[in-house]
Amino acid sequence: MNTRMKVGMKKSLAVYAAAAYAFLYLPLLILAVFSVNASRFSVWQGFSARWYQAMLADHDLLESTANSLIIATASTLLATAIGTLAAYALWKRSSTWLSGSLYLSLVTPEIVTGVSLLAFYQWVFRYLHLQLGMHTVVLAHLSFSVAYVVLVVLARLRTFDPALEEAALDLGATELGAFRRVTLPYLAPAIAAAAMLAFTVSIDDYVITSLVAGVDSRTLPMVIYAMARRGVNPVLNAVSTVVVVALGALVLISERLRAS
Amino acid sequence: MRPLRSWFIAPSIVLMAATLAIPLAIICVYSVLTRGAYGGVEWPWTFENYSRLLDTLYGAIFARSFGIAAVATALCLVLGFPLALFIARSGSRKNLYLSLVILPFWTSFLIRTYAWMFLLRDTGLINTLLQALGLIRQPLPMLYNNGAVILGLVYGYLPFAVLPLYATVERLDPSLLEAAADLGARPITALARVTIPLSAPGIRAAAMLVFVPCLGTYLTSDLLGGSKTILIGNLVQNQFTASRDWPFGAAVSILLIAIAMALMLAARRHGPDLV
Amino acid sequence: MNRRTFLIGVAASPACARGARLNVYNWSDYIAPDTVANFEREFGARVRYGTYESNQEMLAQVMSGNSGWDVVFPSEDFIEPMRELGLLTPLRHEWLPNLDALDPAFQKPPWDPELRWSVPYMHGSTGILYQKSVVPAPSAWTALWDQRLRGRITMLDDATEVFGACLKKLGRSINSTDPAELLEAKQQAIAQKPLLRAYLNAEVRDQVVAGDVLAAEAWAVTAGQAIAAAPDKLAFAFPDEGFARFADNIAILRESRRVELAHKWINHLLRPEVAASIVSTTRTATANGAAQKLLPVEIRENPVLYPSAAILERGEWFRAQPSASQKLRDRLWTEIKSS
Repeated sequence: MNTRMKVGMKKSLAVYAAAAYAFLYLPLLILAVFSVNASRFSVWQGFSARWYQAMLADHDLLESTANSLIIATASTLLATAIGTLAAYALWKRSSTWLSGSLYLSLVTPEIVTGVSLLAFYQWVFRYLHLQLGMHTVVLAHLSFSVAYVVLVVLARLRTFDPALEEAALDLGATELGAFRRVTLPYLAPAIAAAAMLAFTVSIDDYVITSLVAGVDSRTLPMVIYAMARRGVNPVLNAVSTVVVVALGALVLISERLRAS
Repeated sequence: MRPLRSWFIAPSIVLMAATLAIPLAIICVYSVLTRGAYGGVEWPWTFENYSRLLDTLYGAIFARSFGIAAVATALCLVLGFPLALFIARSGSRKNLYLSLVILPFWTSFLIRTYAWMFLLRDTGLINTLLQALGLIRQPLPMLYNNGAVILGLVYGYLPFAVLPLYATVERLDPSLLEAAADLGARPITALARVTIPLSAPGIRAAAMLVFVPCLGTYLTSDLLGGSKTILIGNLVQNQFTASRDWPFGAAVSILLIAIAMALMLAARRHGPDLV
Repeated sequence: MNRRTFLIGVAASPACARGARLNVYNWSDYIAPDTVANFEREFGARVRYGTYESNQEMLAQVMSGNSGWDVVFPSEDFIEPMRELGLLTPLRHEWLPNLDALDPAFQKPPWDPELRWSVPYMHGSTGILYQKSVVPAPSAWTALWDQRLRGRITMLDDATEVFGACLKKLGRSINSTDPAELLEAKQQAIAQKPLLRAYLNAEVRDQVVAGDVLAAEAWAVTAGQAIAAAPDKLAFAFPDEGFARFADNIAILRESRRVELAHKWINHLLRPEVAASIVSTTRTATANGAAQKLLPVEIRENPVLYPSAAILERGEWFRAQPSASQKLRDRLWTEIKSS
């Protein structure tokens, strides 16, 4: 009797899981479906690519996408470099200050990070005669991306045998050489995975970016937000589908790299 | 301390100082300054911003934020735990199922929130379907209320809850459940009396991991709550933009960080080490 | 790379001027699709055109004094505060030959009689945009407190406008500085909140057209555009108790380093043909008298945009608030929003 109950439990768990996965994916699938709906409204009226065409004709959208890509690339490169080095340093010897502040950067609500950076920039700009722009956004993105990079790379480092580095040193390599020739190759997949994660969080950030972006640095999430607030816009469904598919693919690759 | 390590650690320390330490320090200072006539900050020191927070009005906002965050967290735990169980017991396909849960979380949070706007609007899909099926005549107002915000939060953070729950459940010793079965316990009882209590640290960790971001949420309540559901995050944003009352906004921010940090520190002491 | 090079590089990058640049910050849906392109072509400039939804949003951005914008479009009650904050640059009329195209009513406006800081652009009133299916048709502010419309009412996301409506409902002036009256107005707003769907500015237009919203406090501008999109379903009312009139003006920020080009932009917008072409897209009421003569009859006589003198009698222009009253209003607004 117990086995039957166990099987019953397993079955109900499976059914529940199916429902849970449906809950997670259905809204996105629906967005995708309605992005090819010929009608503006929620009534199905046949297939149409017009919203994708409208999306590609929208200058604002394209320019903000370009901005987002530039910002994400810059912040990813910097975050990955800084984060990998920091992870290695933490692995060698922990530092409560750094770990604490990285932790704090993850725990602090985005809105607080955003306003504090805004206050910081305005204060600095009074003396430096600078303005908000791409550079302020990139710096802002670094503030939260680095923590993610450190998490991923540090996790991988914890599976690394320090004896390998010791051996390299014994054979006459310098510290830096040992790091470059022995540790770094081992970390490569994790670094790549971390880079992709940093990229996705940078592309998607709205709250912080909206506060520190300047005249020239409107990003894709800012445009998406403005469209979402206005309500009825199927072009937004098209944009959403493209973004979700692109980021989803990126994350899948990142997961594979991390698992390897 | 080896010289290489100090070179490696320098960039991140500078970065954290510039983007975390100094900005937060500035916010601390602003929180005790006065607001200019049309905005900006002026020098007279005052604690008025903090004493203003004691007003019942803002107490209500904090209470509402706590309430919504608590409900969303509870739902995430209740919905996430069976899912974590399923994944942990699915043998070889564990990683696949886990990736499938994590995947939506990493795609745009903004878009996932918009998806619910699309579904819940008066002229959205759900209302259109219900009306087409003849179940209702007038559209149901499902958007712009607390319920919509909670739904958005659960949808956004459910994967975030599943991870630590899974981590704990996966490490449970299966022989304990065998023992329970041997003693005649039904699977449900084993679940309630053995699995859940043993997973307590993971449940606490998951709760904190979800509760803190929900407490400080801004986007979800902004898009799904209409301008009526003002939570702490919205209050902060408002003060720094339209209302131009930076000192008051700074005071609210400091309070929010303090609460978030206190909760996370409590979680770290009682839960597994996640960072 | 030494510090100086870095600073020069960083300072130069936003102002990368290959062909003069002009950054214009305007309300959304307040220009014709080709206006910017025409200006760029004629003056060999590149225009970055950004939009905002409220004066507060604009002010929050430009207050820092180095926002990067050159030209903004403040409403009449923001001209004086912005001037006092040192945010505006005085206009040089010798660079604005088209100024006489302005309608006589706007050549000496009360908020800037010599037009030293601003040039009137568009004007309108705040009233009630509603679905014709609502009976009886709303004709006074009290209609927005109607329980039957619960959940389908919106108000403007603007402290001055919401206070304006509440004060008018109480029979007071929209520019009241009396704390007692303001507190009363606050109570009204808080009483209304449970009936509200949201506080929305021009964003409400699509929702009214779609039928989600039954009655909205809206600007005549938004109403005009909405009614044009759904003429048999929507209507606009100038409330009986009185209403606010607004005029959006063009102003140049003091931080601008392209003042002459900014003047050219204003002069360009003052051209009757340009103003008329803008109006035919935006369906707003222009302050440009010469342009009005070029407009088609259905716009010139549109009662929403150009109400009769009898109706305009009930209207009141917004006036800048003294500092203490402004602070009180901002604080009460936070309380309204947070309740």
